[in-house]
Amino acid sequence: SSTHISISSQEILNRIESIILEIVTSLSKAEAPVLALPNRSSWANISFDSAIGLQMSSRQSVTTIRADCPSSVTKFAQILKILSVIYRLVQSNSYATKRDIYYNNTKLFGSQKAVDSIVDDISCMLKVPRRSLHVLATSKGLISGDLCYMEEDGTRIDCHSSSTAVSVSSNISGIKNIVSSAKFVMIIEKDATFQRLLDDDFCTKISPCIIITGKGVPDVNSRLMVKRLWDELHIPIFALVDADPHGIIHLLEYLSCQTYFAMSFEAHSLTVPSVMWLGLLPSDLQRLRVPKDALIPLTKRDESKLCSLLERPYLTSQPEWQKEMKLMQQSKVKAEIQSLTAIAPDFLTQIYLPNKLRYGGWI
Amino acid sequence: MLKEMQQVLRLIMLMGKQRQKLGLRTGGGLLLLLWTDTEVSTQKLNCTVNCTVAAAGPWCAGIQMEALQPALVRLKESMCPCVWPCNEPDPEELSAFTDLYGSLRFLLSFQVKDTRHCTSEWQAHLEAFLRTFTLANAGIQIHLKLKINQEASLREFSVKVKRRVALADQLLLTLDVTCSAPPPCCVKKGCWCVRGHPAIGGRLPLSIPPQTMEQGLFGDLSVQVVTLLTPCLLPYPNVATELTHIQVLVYNPSNIPVTGPSGFFQKLPAVLDCQELGLYRVYCSSFKDLVYSGGTVYTVEKDSWDDPEQESSLPTVQQSLLLFFFLQHSDPFTSQLTDLMATEMLIELHLEDILNNNRQALVAAVQTELRNTLKSQNHRKKQQEKLHAAAEVILGSSMSIVSSSSNMDFRNACLSRMKVHDTHELAASLRESLWRVTSWKFVPKAKCFSTKMEVHPENDEPTTAEI
Repeated sequence: SSTHISISSQEILNRIESIILEIVTSLSKAEAPVLALPNRSSWANISFDSAIGLQMSSRQSVTTIRADCPSSVTKFAQILKILSVIYRLVQSNSYATKRDIYYNNTKLFGSQKAVDSIVDDISCMLKVPRRSLHVLATSKGLISGDLCYMEEDGTRIDCHSSSTAVSVSSNISGIKNIVSSAKFVMIIEKDATFQRLLDDDFCTKISPCIIITGKGVPDVNSRLMVKRLWDELHIPIFALVDADPHGIIHLLEYLSCQTYFAMSFEAHSLTVPSVMWLGLLPSDLQRLRVPKDALIPLTKRDESKLCSLLERPYLTSQPEWQKEMKLMQQSKVKAEIQSLTAIAPDFLTQIYLPNKLRYGGWI
Repeated sequence: MLKEMQQVLRLIMLMGKQRQKLGLRTGGGLLLLLWTDTEVSTQKLNCTVNCTVAAAGPWCAGIQMEALQPALVRLKESMCPCVWPCNEPDPEELSAFTDLYGSLRFLLSFQVKDTRHCTSEWQAHLEAFLRTFTLANAGIQIHLKLKINQEASLREFSVKVKRRVALADQLLLTLDVTCSAPPPCCVKKGCWCVRGHPAIGGRLPLSIPPQTMEQGLFGDLSVQVVTLLTPCLLPYPNVATELTHIQVLVYNPSNIPVTGPSGFFQKLPAVLDCQELGLYRVYCSSFKDLVYSGGTVYTVEKDSWDDPEQESSLPTVQQSLLLFFFLQHSDPFTSQLTDLMATEMLIELHLEDILNNNRQALVAAVQTELRNTLKSQNHRKKQQEKLHAAAEVILGSSMSIVSSSSNMDFRNACLSRMKVHDTHELAASLRESLWRVTSWKFVPKAKCFSTKMEVHPENDEPTTAEI
């Protein structure tokens, strides 16, 4: 039963110091230093709370990283290096992106992925949300629509332009002075669809709104931005994804249901429990009579993915979603949003979306 | 005298080998009594030495002296300068021996007139030969009692740590795998492996050169390579090793070491591919501390371009590689003891020709064994470099946090744990401790510390604890 408490900087420094003291103590006893990492990839560590979403349980299985073992010593060193970077960042109240950390020591880390993974490990180890570590993710998301805000460094951002989208900020918690008269936020799975809506001036046509895309699997900043908008504006959040298992997975990402293996620790602050599935729904395919040649048969992998998705804890409390997924299973077909162009070239922005929004076609 | 003793030993060994195929145990005692007569003048010019060879124990069980007569006759013929019979040995010496090993199975006495035998140099040669003999026949305990010119000495050659190795053709060897190298100072008591672990290498068929065949050597000749790397560092996977010496020992089919320098092996290092092995050079050297006789010793030098500074700081243990070449011969037409003796004499006589005739294969065999040893050596080095590089990062990061911390309790706790006064000393003591802990990580291995004398998996018979 943990509520989200903001961790003070001093507390973070203390936690890092206690890790160092443990290492010094081991060495003073001529023992090999060992780090205990909570095992983020183990199912045993995950539980679901309907108010919060999925989260790490307090009982954790742990992986030990030894300093006297050639196969793990490099990871040990990488963890210590990043701890020392975080320590300095927190102490000086400055920020660095994960990219910065990697490029400062490419030889030690080998890849960006290694840095990203270790930052998440440290977040779990210290029991501190990653952004409290002053390490920012570089975001790839785009945002556009009726929205103005100010970045931490004072830059004013205006998302109204219909020709170019704005990159989602790397420092969401530093955003202030959010101004918007949008009636809803729409999450769009694919960049191509996002661009299409941008080209068709979607955000001004129907009603003021904000559109955002994570370009596929959403990165943390995109999800944080959605959450921030939800917190500040209290307007509905809709999702427009492909009618296929991957689309549903991306949808669940915004609900932080799917990130078992990465961010469950941060579920408290990243969850947006009320994202509504606007489209493309499997029932839409039947209802709109999307031409058969625009439909793609489900592969064996798709089918097994669907089965495992249906077993996810979150979906047991979403009967409407389950119904749609079972429909997909039965019909054995999937479709991308682009398939709507088979009905008419501008069906998506002229007919489909306006109707959906006007007549409550979301679940 | 050495030659004569070798011949007698050969006889006993060949008899034992015949019986070994029945799966009997090896082990027992060999008594060598050498004395000069007190009545004979003590002038070195006229030295007569009496020699008695006696054997008892399982290794010669079933031998009957009467059955040996034909072989003994041949033996006497081949040992010309000897005088048969000679003075009887001291019965007390014999009874002390039989008390230990049971009744005598073999007893032979002879006399040799030779000036060389009364020198201490000759004694040293004899002892070196016997030591080399027990290296590959570790089950036999040798008692050497000398009474030369009123100076008496007693030497016992027994082996602390043995290991049985099974080769093809049901051939069982008992090797001396004792490692007497003292453990480095970082090693705790009871955590040092005192035995070597012999590895069976390749078995090469050897083609007999035509001129040797003309002399009467036929049949199948081959050589079995066995390697022994000491000291054993299996329990210390993070320590770097450095191969510095290689010793080659050749044994006859009767398991008696071939004495005398080998031109072939002396020239062998020159044809090794040092570049492939990553070595600077391998050359034949005279090992001052020559423990085993008849062997050829090589010194190994690795690349002199290696960073000298890094070398001195990373712990490295030097190792030596013992290469056993066990000659094996089989010929369906020679089964009589006398024939076996003669065949072996031929092999020994023509050994250089035989080796030269199989130059390529033998060089390749040595290259392979070296390559295998160096492979694990290089792997260790890489592991150690990895640990070292990571350790620097670990230390740097830790010290960065300690140095920039404003938490006095934390800083003081770190200093007091390591019993130092300031961060400068802290860095040094952390470094020292981390290196020691990671380099000398101890992983106990069953085969290094169990008390059983293991038998090679190819021939898994239960054995008694013999350490």
